[in-house]
Amino acid sequence: MRDARTNIRDALYEAPGPRTRRLTAVGTALTLAALVVLIALVIRRFYEAGQLDSKYWALFAKYTTWRYIGKGLVGTVEAALMAGTLTFALGFTYMLLRISRLKAARAVGTALVEFTRGVPTLLFIYFFFLVVPQLGIKLSAFLKITLPVAISASGVVAEVLRSGVNAVPNGQREAAYSLGMRERSVFLKVVFPQAFRIVIPAMISELVIVLKDTTFAYVVSFPDLMQNAKVLISNYDSLLAVYLVVAVIYILINYLLNKASDFMARRRNQVKGAAAV
Amino acid sequence: MSAYAAEGQVPVIELRHVDKHFGDLHVLKDICLSVQRGEVVVIIGPSGSGKSTLCRTINRMETIDAGEILIDGVPLPEEGKDLAKLRAQIGMVFQSFNLFAHMNILENVTLGPTDVLKRPRKEAREEAMQLLKRVGVESQAHKVPAQLSGGQQQRVAIARSLAMHPKAILFDEPTSALDPEMIGEVLEVMTELAQEGMTMLVVTHEMNFARRVADRVIFMDDGSIVEEGTPEAFFENPQTERARNFLNSIKNH
Ligand SMILES: Nc1ncnc2c1ncn2[C@@H]1O[C@H](COP(=O)(O)OP(=O)(O)OP(=O)(O)O)[C@@H](O)[C@H]1O
Ligand SMILES: [Mg+2]
Repeated sequence: MRDARTNIRDALYEAPGPRTRRLTAVGTALTLAALVVLIALVIRRFYEAGQLDSKYWALFAKYTTWRYIGKGLVGTVEAALMAGTLTFALGFTYMLLRISRLKAARAVGTALVEFTRGVPTLLFIYFFFLVVPQLGIKLSAFLKITLPVAISASGVVAEVLRSGVNAVPNGQREAAYSLGMRERSVFLKVVFPQAFRIVIPAMISELVIVLKDTTFAYVVSFPDLMQNAKVLISNYDSLLAVYLVVAVIYILINYLLNKASDFMARRRNQVKGAAAV
Repeated sequence: MSAYAAEGQVPVIELRHVDKHFGDLHVLKDICLSVQRGEVVVIIGPSGSGKSTLCRTINRMETIDAGEILIDGVPLPEEGKDLAKLRAQIGMVFQSFNLFAHMNILENVTLGPTDVLKRPRKEAREEAMQLLKRVGVESQAHKVPAQLSGGQQQRVAIARSLAMHPKAILFDEPTSALDPEMIGEVLEVMTELAQEGMTMLVVTHEMNFARRVADRVIFMDDGSIVEEGTPEAFFENPQTERARNFLNSIKNH
């Protein structure tokens, strides 16, 4: 994603001259100064409120705190992986329906996409938390969080995959058909692998959303990072400190995911760029 | 080369009174054409005259409205397994190469044999390497298409067709997307194929190639076959006004 933005910036603006460079430098300095002042103000407020007292931070000196956070992190990663896999499987299925030759299948696909895209994640979670048990279906806390999160993201993923399939040039299909390949092979061996490469950055953005949605795990008491943070807060009465640390961890994970996306986008562009030589 | 086109044989490709419309546009008008085994037929004609469409009906990349298409005397199947089987026997080389962008060169050449002909991977790879050598790109086998020049890509596309052991190969303007300095290397490979007896139907604007290699030249205009003859007869002594105009217009380039 980052990569795409840089490319857009390159395309939007011409190379800066000396005056533009000076203006840019002044602007950057002013922005940074404003930011420093803002942060200082926030820290002072916290200090005055006593939130920076060492008693609120002492828990982080304990090994058990970090082990508990670590367990939460494992829970979050597990839930995200499971939800991500389910999202992909569901999205892939809706996408197949949407590109089907059969009108009825296409209608079902469209309905599923619109429904899952339109309903907020939390509603799906409450459905699995409150309604499903009443139907006599017992699900683990793990499924109660991963299923709704996956369903909620599946419609978007279906559309992302479909846009990738549409972006594969028709000549690729024609070349495959002209070799005598059957429809299924053409799709699985020629079209989809290329479509998937095209949408990797968008898919990773969607994975970030899935990961953030798993923070709703507290609703069903699944021990993810967020849920464990809540437990720490009530045990140590240390709201700000715990939330800050947990936020940093989430930011790090998502930053790494975005880095991975950049890396893959760049690798694809490198291969493409070689064509110009 | 005409020796291959023995009289009285069943043609490899035969079109009988083929008609095709794109909406209101009548793109193929009562086309009758046959290509004998080992024959090289070149189709020329102005832009929009229906050359590509004609080529593409032969492996049913385009459907037809009326008439018949026979491959080795058998009507072209309309769909399914039989159609796929038939496509496997007719090679196609495109103007824009259309190599599979996500596969390396070797995989491009082995996909057809392994997926369609169910040949063992190892055997397919060995033959693919030989074919790549034959078209002079064996040193590129592990690169992806985007890393190759246009001329190299088109030669790989020809190798990909050959790997299926086709009865005939259709070429739709195989050199039109190439820089001038790369046209020669592709035409050279095609000339060799023709000399080895491959049955070929070639849409091209390369008049020298047509003169040297074609057994027969077909001139199309406005969806019809207007004139047809040996290269000598056609280029030295065109019979119709339209063919004369067309030849003049490209001479002036
Ligand atoms: N898929 C399509 N839908 C509608 N019209 C089409 C389609 N493909 C081709 N045509 C039209 O049919 C006519 C014949 O096209 P065709 O591509 O066969 O011509 P051509 O002789 O190959 O021309 P060129 O030398 O430019 O490649 C043209 O007028 C073209 O615009
Ligand atoms: Mg054409």
